[in-house]
Amino acid sequence: MAGDSVKARNGSMVAYTGQMNFKKLTGGGDGLRGMVARRLTGEQMTVMEVKGQGTCYFADQATEVSLVRLNGETLYVESDNLLCTEASLHTGTSFTGLNGMASGNGLFTTKVEGSGWAALTSNGPAIILRVTQGTPLRVDPGAYVAHTGNLSRHLKSGAGWTTLIGEGGGEAMQVEFTGEGLVYVQPSEKTTFGGDV
Amino acid sequence: MSYPPQQPYGQQPYPQQPYQQQPYPQQPYSDQQYQQSYQPTQPGMQLPPMPPAPPGAPLPQHDGSGPVVHDVHSLPVNDNVNPYAFSVDLNGPYYLQKGKMIAYYGDIRFSGIGRGVLDRVLEQNFNSPLHASDWVVAEGRGKLLLADRAFDLNSYDLENGNLTVRSGNLLAFEPTLALKQSIIPGFLTLIGTGKFVAASNGPVHFVEPPIRVDPQALVGWADCPAPCHHYDHSYLHGVLGGIRHLTGIGGASGEEHQFEFIGAGQVLLQSSETLMAERSVGVVASEPGVPGGGVPQQPGHGGQQLPNIPGLGNLGNLGDLGRRFGL
Repeated sequence: MAGDSVKARNGSMVAYTGQMNFKKLTGGGDGLRGMVARRLTGEQMTVMEVKGQGTCYFADQATEVSLVRLNGETLYVESDNLLCTEASLHTGTSFTGLNGMASGNGLFTTKVEGSGWAALTSNGPAIILRVTQGTPLRVDPGAYVAHTGNLSRHLKSGAGWTTLIGEGGGEAMQVEFTGEGLVYVQPSEKTTFGGDV
Repeated sequence: MSYPPQQPYGQQPYPQQPYQQQPYPQQPYSDQQYQQSYQPTQPGMQLPPMPPAPPGAPLPQHDGSGPVVHDVHSLPVNDNVNPYAFSVDLNGPYYLQKGKMIAYYGDIRFSGIGRGVLDRVLEQNFNSPLHASDWVVAEGRGKLLLADRAFDLNSYDLENGNLTVRSGNLLAFEPTLALKQSIIPGFLTLIGTGKFVAASNGPVHFVEPPIRVDPQALVGWADCPAPCHHYDHSYLHGVLGGIRHLTGIGGASGEEHQFEFIGAGQVLLQSSETLMAERSVGVVASEPGVPGGGVPQQPGHGGQQLPNIPGLGNLGNLGDLGRRFGL
């Protein structure tokens, strides 16, 4: 870092060298509108701004960190999995609709836009899977971390009457990604409602 | 299998082991790629400097040193994607534990075991109907990614052999294998020829009997005819030893109790003593002569049983009393 700033999740700094200033940004650092949006949507993040000269190390509970380079694309990420972004990136919320709710990830997701680096955390190293036309990808909601590119997500349900009596396939809820883009999955599953049926 | 079978601890190579670990060089995921793909995720690594770009100019694209992006064709065929995720090239049925699928390409259906047509298949592969509900059949064509709470995954090939594994560690297996409930409570036995995927907390080591292992480090064993308990006799001997074992007064190293393996075979050890959550394997029929039959399973692992210590009378049954009173 050389005089520029980075937005990071509160408390994620583990060490730094040089001169650093830490400033808490209220309401996710998206200004008043973003703050209200976050409150309403439940995709709350406590974010700090780190500014200064030197090297700053971020980490979160020894989870794996993946770096994502954005070139004007949009990264959709669960707010739990976003560690830090360069200040040149804008964060916001986006509506995922019923898909998110049914899979237990909430109705909204965090959107990162602009050009720069963003760091994601995942439980275990994230696997990057490419989705192209004709090869759609289906992901367990608990293993989903983030996605970029021109992808549309749909909830795919394999639940039938057997799910109700506890004899289901265990993978009743899947998120289907179609289009062109990359999906980040972690080799572990969060406990979500969708993951239990 | 991502970890090559190393022999760092002076182990002998096992030429005739019935289940070979995947030959390392055949892996599509080479060591170098591994380094490359993980380089950006090294903890404490500095953020790469962003090249200044004039506004409007296209920013540089990913170069080769970026993270590895997998697609449906580049995903390994029946091999590890990284130490924690396994890719199955599915063409037909495959059995997996509930909730271990993280992603898939292609047309795959997941159905609980015990549905109609599958009952016939079931007869071949499952012999204990009670734990069948924990298993899912994946059917169809495609690439299936499996993972389990970011634990290390390994695949093993069984050739006309048998392998017993802790129930919580088994993830998936080919339908050419038969899954049976082991006589030892909490363990499952796989018999036949085929591939299966198991999880472990840390990489797995193969050791040859005779050996005594810590109960928590045991993942499973193959072909060993005689797994049994072993207690440090001198430590547990007599009244004092019993009191020490019961109360902990006088100190216990925590290593007085081991599992002993003798005979020809292989013992699988994980490099950590953190146990994985056990899966219920179903209660066996309550019959005289059936180990564990009708008796509720001990919480935790099998290390809590008290030896019948002479001189202590019924003190050895204290544990049972406590359970009966809900203590």
